[in-house]
Amino acid sequence: MTVWIVAVLVLLAAVFIRGFRKWLSSMAGAIWILVALAVVAILGVMIGQNLPPEAYTERYGSVLGTFVHRAGLTGIFTSWYFLLLSAVLAVSLVACSLGRLRRIAAAGGRGRLSRVGSLLLHLSLVVILAGGLVTTIFGFKYPAPVYLSEGERMVVTEGGFTVRVDAAVTEFSDEGTVSEYYSDVTVLEGTEEVLSHRIEVNHPLVHNGVGLYQLEMLPSSTSVRELLFGISMRTEEGDAPLLTLPVPFNEEFEIPGTDVSLKVLEFLADFTYDIENRTASLASNSHRNPAVLVRVSEGGEFVADRWVFADVQSHRDDSGLPCRVFLLDYLPDFDRGITRFELSRQPGTPLLFFGFAAMSIGLFLTFWTRGARKEEA
Amino acid sequence: MQGSLDMNLFWVAFWCYLAATVGASVYAGTRKAVVRSAVFAVTVVGLAANTAALIARSVASGHPPLSNLFEYLSFFAWAIVVGFLFIWRKKGLELLTVFAPTVAFAMMVIASLFPTEASRQLIPALQSYWLWVHVSLAILAEAAFAVAFVASLMCLIGDERGHRRLPDRELLDSIAYGAIGIGFPLFTVGALFAGAVWAQRAWGSPWSWDPKETSSLIVWLVYAIYLHVRRTRRGSIALTSGLSVLGFALTILTILGSRFLGGLHSYG
Repeated sequence: MTVWIVAVLVLLAAVFIRGFRKWLSSMAGAIWILVALAVVAILGVMIGQNLPPEAYTERYGSVLGTFVHRAGLTGIFTSWYFLLLSAVLAVSLVACSLGRLRRIAAAGGRGRLSRVGSLLLHLSLVVILAGGLVTTIFGFKYPAPVYLSEGERMVVTEGGFTVRVDAAVTEFSDEGTVSEYYSDVTVLEGTEEVLSHRIEVNHPLVHNGVGLYQLEMLPSSTSVRELLFGISMRTEEGDAPLLTLPVPFNEEFEIPGTDVSLKVLEFLADFTYDIENRTASLASNSHRNPAVLVRVSEGGEFVADRWVFADVQSHRDDSGLPCRVFLLDYLPDFDRGITRFELSRQPGTPLLFFGFAAMSIGLFLTFWTRGARKEEA
Repeated sequence: MQGSLDMNLFWVAFWCYLAATVGASVYAGTRKAVVRSAVFAVTVVGLAANTAALIARSVASGHPPLSNLFEYLSFFAWAIVVGFLFIWRKKGLELLTVFAPTVAFAMMVIASLFPTEASRQLIPALQSYWLWVHVSLAILAEAAFAVAFVASLMCLIGDERGHRRLPDRELLDSIAYGAIGIGFPLFTVGALFAGAVWAQRAWGSPWSWDPKETSSLIVWLVYAIYLHVRRTRRGSIALTSGLSVLGFALTILTILGSRFLGGLHSYG
């Protein structure tokens, strides 16, 4: 960011050095700047940007992967040389526009509309770059989405307000696919409720310049609607064939034809175990390592509480139980879902959109008016 | 026949474009006007089926046929044929335009390799009128690039003195330039600007250097270079033609890239 400012100043000074100024405002200069930008962008997309370091060693091997990461090729679009290149482009655009302005003033009416369009086209690109610069300097974006459950609040320091989630809703179509999700939120400033808003995908909440954008809703990470268990009774002749049984969450359930009953006490979407405190807890809200705590009783007598994992590779301990229990599947609980927001402030956006509008008009005049063809001839 | 109406129509268009492609090769060898007329007739039947397939799919699914790669590429094939039909009657370009169904057929082949199921339910992120604006303008722009691509490819194949069997190089070059002059503004406004405006609303920032965004920018840069080189007539026809061919190759990579590079634009 400071590099940007320094670079612009240095370049502005350099513009007054003749040869360089001439090159910057020349067509050859413009072409080489575009080529350089294209080459950097191709490198960026081929290498893959902002991935965790392991991703690069996995893709390129340990030596090349480490090199790519250390050489700063994994964050090309925020690197000093890319910003410098953009600054050179901006200065070149201004320089060549000055030349254009002079030519328009000198030339008569023929092809004038197209020339004015071309000037607008090039200057608006400077506005677009400026918009990007404003966001880079004054804007921010949370590095990771924010997770909130119904009733939870979050203080948005940057905007000076608190947001409370009143409802996190997921709706399904008849096909069973997600048709819509939204969050009803209330904005509080101090203790005063300022406004209520429904945040949907494509319908963000923007308050005090800070935007909350709806991302995909997650089902609850601590409850489920129903579980599908594979159960095999232990008999004297060995394990009985596997029964597939749907089991409700948090309710006593008797395995048919036996006096063994199960009750699912807890669900953790991403199970982790704290060895020191000897407690199970949630590693994240993603359904990465689902596990359930099952209470097994026989003849009304408590037998044991055991964690059962969806991942068959996980540690399994069913010693001393009257049956073996496998967690095959579960119906996620969207009624107690977790909403996810992207939080950002993009103060350069109005400038950016203004640049888009101006450039669209410029493109139209340059390419699609009568003068465009005439000028070429 | 089995299957849904839109898929049956898709296959009708597919076989028509294939037949017309064979016809185009016959025309290239024989230069019989009647063969070219036959190619035209079959292409138009294919285009009608292609159009009907897109409409049938929209009606059946309740949303524009722009929500996955299969739909995108069938729409793209349609736009390419329409693009070529605009210059079908131009003198001296008989050999260029006759290859319209060939390019369209190539897109139909790629389309048929992707999952073809139509979902009645658009995922929430795509439920926006910006889907129409952003994707359809990008397709029209890329169809113009496709026309330029074929013209430029013929420029590259023909030699300096003008091969008698190929259309005039100057004419081909001006067709490519004209097509890019239509495609470039559409691409800038549709693929880049409309995309950025939509991304701001949906994802919270107009530009994220997502692989598809970056590769679209590369496509834009290549055509910007083309225009600067071509407008000042600095380079040879071979250079500008090469840039136009490169631009279209990158366009195709951009269309298919999200499938392999991942990122925000992964919609199947």
